[in-house]
Amino acid sequence: MSKQKNKISKDSRAAEQPQSVADKGQRYWHLLRVNMLVVFFLAAWVWASVYYGVVFRICREYSFWVANPDQMFFVLNQPGGPLWYVGRMLLQPFYHPWMGGFLLAVLLTVGSWFCGYLLRLRGRWQWLQFVPAGICVLAFTYLGMDLFFEAETGRIMGIPAAVFVCLLVVAVAFRLVSRKPLPAFFVAPEGQTWKQWSGQLLAVALIFVCSIGFGESRRPYVRIISQLMEAEYRQDWGTIQRVARKNAEVSNRPIAAYYAIALVHTDQICDRLYDIRLEFDTMYVHGMDGLQNTAVSLYIPEGSYHGGFMLTCLHQCMEQMVMTGPTVRLLHLMVKSALMRGEWELAEKYLRVLRDVPFEKSFCQKYGAMVRHPELVDADSEMFKIRMTEPLRDSFESQYQQPTFLGYNLSLVEGRSLNALYNSLAVCLYTKLMPDFSARINPLQGSTTPENVADGILLASNNFPGIEQGFANLNLRLPRLQAFMNAIQPYMSDRAGHAKELFPRYKGYYPYYYFFGNLRATSSKQKGNMSSNSGVN
Amino acid sequence: MKKLAYLSLVGLLLLAACQQKTAQLPADYKQLDRPAATFPDYADVVIPPNIAPLNFMVTDSALQQVVVHYQTEGAELAVGGGADGKVRIDTTQWRSLLQAARGHDVAVSIYACLADSGWVRYPDQHLSVAEEEIDSFLSYRLIEPGYELYRQLGLYQRNLTNFSQHPIYENNRKYDDSHNHCINCHNYRNYRTEDMLFHVRASHGGTIIIHGDEARKVQIKDSTIITAGVYPSWHPTQRLVAFSTNKTGQTFHIYHQEKVEVLDEASDLLLYDADRNEVTHILRSRDQLETFPCWSPDGRKLFYCNADLTHTVDLSVPDSILPMHVIAKNDSLYYDLWSLDFDPETRTFGQPKLEVNVSRTHHSLSVPRVSPDGRYVLYTLGRYGQFHIWHMSSDLWVKDLQRDTCYALSAANSIGAPDSYHSWSSNGRWIAFASRRLDKNYSRAFIAYFDREGQAHKAFLLPQEDPEHNTLLLKSYNVPELTRDAVHISPEKLRKCIYETEGEKATYKAPSPTLPRGEEVNGISGPSPLALPRAGRKS
Repeated sequence: MSKQKNKISKDSRAAEQPQSVADKGQRYWHLLRVNMLVVFFLAAWVWASVYYGVVFRICREYSFWVANPDQMFFVLNQPGGPLWYVGRMLLQPFYHPWMGGFLLAVLLTVGSWFCGYLLRLRGRWQWLQFVPAGICVLAFTYLGMDLFFEAETGRIMGIPAAVFVCLLVVAVAFRLVSRKPLPAFFVAPEGQTWKQWSGQLLAVALIFVCSIGFGESRRPYVRIISQLMEAEYRQDWGTIQRVARKNAEVSNRPIAAYYAIALVHTDQICDRLYDIRLEFDTMYVHGMDGLQNTAVSLYIPEGSYHGGFMLTCLHQCMEQMVMTGPTVRLLHLMVKSALMRGEWELAEKYLRVLRDVPFEKSFCQKYGAMVRHPELVDADSEMFKIRMTEPLRDSFESQYQQPTFLGYNLSLVEGRSLNALYNSLAVCLYTKLMPDFSARINPLQGSTTPENVADGILLASNNFPGIEQGFANLNLRLPRLQAFMNAIQPYMSDRAGHAKELFPRYKGYYPYYYFFGNLRATSSKQKGNMSSNSGVN
Repeated sequence: MKKLAYLSLVGLLLLAACQQKTAQLPADYKQLDRPAATFPDYADVVIPPNIAPLNFMVTDSALQQVVVHYQTEGAELAVGGGADGKVRIDTTQWRSLLQAARGHDVAVSIYACLADSGWVRYPDQHLSVAEEEIDSFLSYRLIEPGYELYRQLGLYQRNLTNFSQHPIYENNRKYDDSHNHCINCHNYRNYRTEDMLFHVRASHGGTIIIHGDEARKVQIKDSTIITAGVYPSWHPTQRLVAFSTNKTGQTFHIYHQEKVEVLDEASDLLLYDADRNEVTHILRSRDQLETFPCWSPDGRKLFYCNADLTHTVDLSVPDSILPMHVIAKNDSLYYDLWSLDFDPETRTFGQPKLEVNVSRTHHSLSVPRVSPDGRYVLYTLGRYGQFHIWHMSSDLWVKDLQRDTCYALSAANSIGAPDSYHSWSSNGRWIAFASRRLDKNYSRAFIAYFDREGQAHKAFLLPQEDPEHNTLLLKSYNVPELTRDAVHISPEKLRKCIYETEGEKATYKAPSPTLPRGEEVNGISGPSPLALPRAGRKS
């Protein structure tokens, strides 16, 4: 009997064991009985505001919307214009990603609800209601920077909104005709099993896991670049540096450009530029012509502005504005450039245009106060810094290699401040043009030079003996250079092939960049000796 | 049915009542000494009797309400505005006012209700209504100011007697490499739209010649011609067009009051016969830059601008580096006004005659336009160069051909902003021109009265239904041209011509053995390093 009892209890335990998780889930589920739509809504909201919110925020900055149809004629007169007009309007709440994320999550969730209702999805097929929303989420991640780069930003919210409206109309019609009630939104449907519920949960999880997984593995730069751009709008130089260094191995030109901008503003351009890999991998981004693009227009206006080239910034902004129509980001830059140039009427004009754009009140207040008040312009920390590197004299963009903020600094012969000299030296080092670099270091003699400059002098001294004379901190750095030169000899035959592998070891060290960094851009003629031959990139 | 008719009648009466509602003038107000801050500035201007209402806005802060009272002999009009300060005048009432005021003045009293001080009255302004009407139509190109690229742009025609604007032609709205094209240099014959032309650049390129309701595309290009035809001028009596052909580039300042410098490294003059589709050189030389041709109203003289490169640029340098030399000397390029006699019967030109020499005082002259009576040549005078619409120093001047004197149209000119691309009305009493005086960047169409004594009066901004239109518009008004009638040909017909025809190639006819002046050289071709072209480079 006791044996039998033991057997029964063993069997029951054995039977209970695999059921316990399901039972627990069942029990909790019975307590909550929460509809998967609610879970999807929360997940979509978090995804659209916390994970991808910064990307959508940039999409909003690369967009423009005002209510006045005359000003939106450039959108309205295109095929699908009215829809893009609405889409652009719905994109505006992404100024606060939580707000835009909420709106997008509502569209996707309620759309899924209608979808389930119209297709009469029940039981184990109910997860199919999330398919359209899932496609939308995955499409956003797949498109990455193509969402906003030379693209119609009205599509981002316009297409989901159009689908939503269509579903709404059909659902209402269906409701009126069939008189079948809509399923509950908050509470799980009667008769739904835990298994069915967890199947739906799996489908929802899969959507966001796939989106995040794809984003992190195939489009890792999208969020990083967006974070950097967003931080630049806030003039948060610390965040730019932190994000760029944290993702030091994700290399592309926009990251390098925004990182350099932050370094310029924190006086570290000759110290920390090589903390990130400067190899410039290709990105999935396409221009208006549908061809792969290097996305230089993501940073050329900003680079020109922060480099002190207001006219070039206005030029570049206008070129982009011609192609894509006005955007908040371009109008901001044009306001600031106009203020820096004392073009008050022009600044007022752009501010007036911006005043009708939702969420632009604080920008307009801040910069509107500077109109006709040059003292306030000069008192602004960002503008004050930029003022120090403005050119002293006029010349033409066509006289320099492009982009101007690099080309001009390669040819710099006079500057307003030491900052201008440091910018010039940083560009010479970046382009590996050591003769130009050597020609510009004299004013620093007798001082302790920034690390990259010191290493540059040591490298250049091989070809220009004696240039190291008069610099205080070189001796301390010479042993490291010698050790580096010995250590890299095995890799010199295939520098491009070993560049990435060596980066973690020599991160931040200019000689590493000189021999292994940015090789495609800095010419195949680079032989690994001190005589350089390279181009602006 | 009866009920419906009754309701409609009531509705119409209500509508009419709303429209006829006039603003009440305040009984109590404080008289101010300072003038009202208004935009646009229409104070004390001379206006045509057929102009659209001069809607404007009072820009004083703390504004709650505004009332404007127009008074002239036998007519008055009161118009109200809200807190935005915008005063929008009913077109019918405005017309009645101007009819009554024709040849007289209108007193304009502006009352404003300010939050802090209640009703105030500013010092009165005046409008002088001229006897002479302005040509009813103004056509222009709307395009973003300057720089290299273009996307959506178009030629538009505005009816000056009201606010209607219609597209003459708009390019492709959606970016498409195979269809992207730019349009420019619209021009009319004798202030009529019967004969007109404009150029299409890039995809579907060519010159569109319009005669009545028919358009055809021609290719005015030959191996000896620098580029296609550029700046045009229709002969007043024959279907001939004088073109300049220019190898133009632009370069961008990096630290300067001005932003863009547009220069020619080569230019010649052409004569195109629209009936025979024949083109020939008028002037062709390497050391002279001839541009901006303009016929006199009798068609017996061709005015043009000319810069002598001989002492400015080293012409012995290879063509490939010539542009850099031209750029380096950009502020030393001075254009003078020249003319050539023309015999329409034999179609032969005489010898060049220097009409206005400004290069000797280190100035430059551009865009000559002869008044319909043939007495005045209106032009722009700037410090250097020929693309004066980007030069802050550019002002409108005239040469009185009768008295052989030149003078600035000071009252119409702006201070420190470019004024250029001017055109006459067919009666010679009005000039329309582009000016960047509002913000030094976006060119806007201005109109000024040109009196019988040869003096221009204060210019006023082309009125718009929304007074803020010009502030909010992010495009420039380019090449405003006055015409007496509207363009008849439809945009669809033009689109068909542009998209579906390749363009007849003009036959090049060798010029008469004795070119008026200059050494004949091979046509200069090839890309110019002056500008970095991209898909939509502006032309």
